[in-house]
Amino acid sequence: MHFVEFVQWLNDRHFSVALRGDDWPFPIIETVHILGLGVSVGLVIWIDLRLLGVTMLRHERVSEIVSQLEPWAMGGFIVMFISGFLLLLAEPMKCYTALSFRLKVIMLILAGLNVWYFHAKVYPTVAEWDEAPAVPWRARMVGILSLTLWFGIIIAGRWTAYF
Amino acid sequence: MSLLGLFPLSFFLWCEKTHLGLWIKNGTWTFATIETVHIMALTVLLGTLVVVDLRMLGFGMLRQSPSYLAQLMAPWTYGSLVVIILTGICMFVSEANRLSRSGPFAFKMLLLIFAVGTHFTIRAKVTGDAVSLGSRLSKVVASLSIVFWFGVALAGRAIPFL
Repeated sequence: MHFVEFVQWLNDRHFSVALRGDDWPFPIIETVHILGLGVSVGLVIWIDLRLLGVTMLRHERVSEIVSQLEPWAMGGFIVMFISGFLLLLAEPMKCYTALSFRLKVIMLILAGLNVWYFHAKVYPTVAEWDEAPAVPWRARMVGILSLTLWFGIIIAGRWTAYF
Repeated sequence: MSLLGLFPLSFFLWCEKTHLGLWIKNGTWTFATIETVHIMALTVLLGTLVVVDLRMLGFGMLRQSPSYLAQLMAPWTYGSLVVIILTGICMFVSEANRLSRSGPFAFKMLLLIFAVGTHFTIRAKVTGDAVSLGSRLSKVVASLSIVFWFGVALAGRAIPFL
């Protein structure tokens, strides 16, 4: 079976039709997805800004910011992934054919890799640069990539409605 | 509930005929672009509010005081608020006629007044003092802040649906 056939099969399923139907599920799920931005990307911004060494935050320890904000941001991202997945299930064919959505998926994967890279390769040495306003270049790179990717994801997400 | 009760229809019709309103309405991608900026500003705005409100509720950045966090967030809160209001005005003038009859839009504006009102009065007071004014008041203010601001976003999301 070709992938597009699977997508069409998914699109025809009763739960998919029901999710995108006229009633309340889709608007509510979409609203959760948008409000969730504030608790996911909205929080991650502050970790990224610390990594970039800007704002008053650069006088705070990186480990303090990460350990205190990340659990909440993680919770926010879980909400985003669940609501996003449901939105995808509601309109699989539309998402599959939309260039914006394909770009969004690519950026999501890259954003995930960025997070993995940060925790696997960069953060373990944090004790050495915890209090430094200017952090190692790899950490700064993670910060810039994070900001760029997440805002790119938001833009691509909005434009999925168009193409 | 609708804004037509408060403002004459002629005002909304006038808005749609302004150069700005026409330019946005007639442009193929103009409205969508402005709305995208609106959403990005919303992400920043809600993020800055959540950090401080969570702290007042006793969660998140506990090593820092609420007033420190509020001070840190302030330029970003105000900056994103300016952007979100400007983009909001742009979107409004492009479809003022429809919005004049929109219940969610009227409700959104009402909540916005409450949100901005409490932000610059009681929330400013509670986060402005280096010594906490009392954790129960802080928690009430933080909860109101979250309810009002997320309520504005929620009402905004309902506009195209209702």
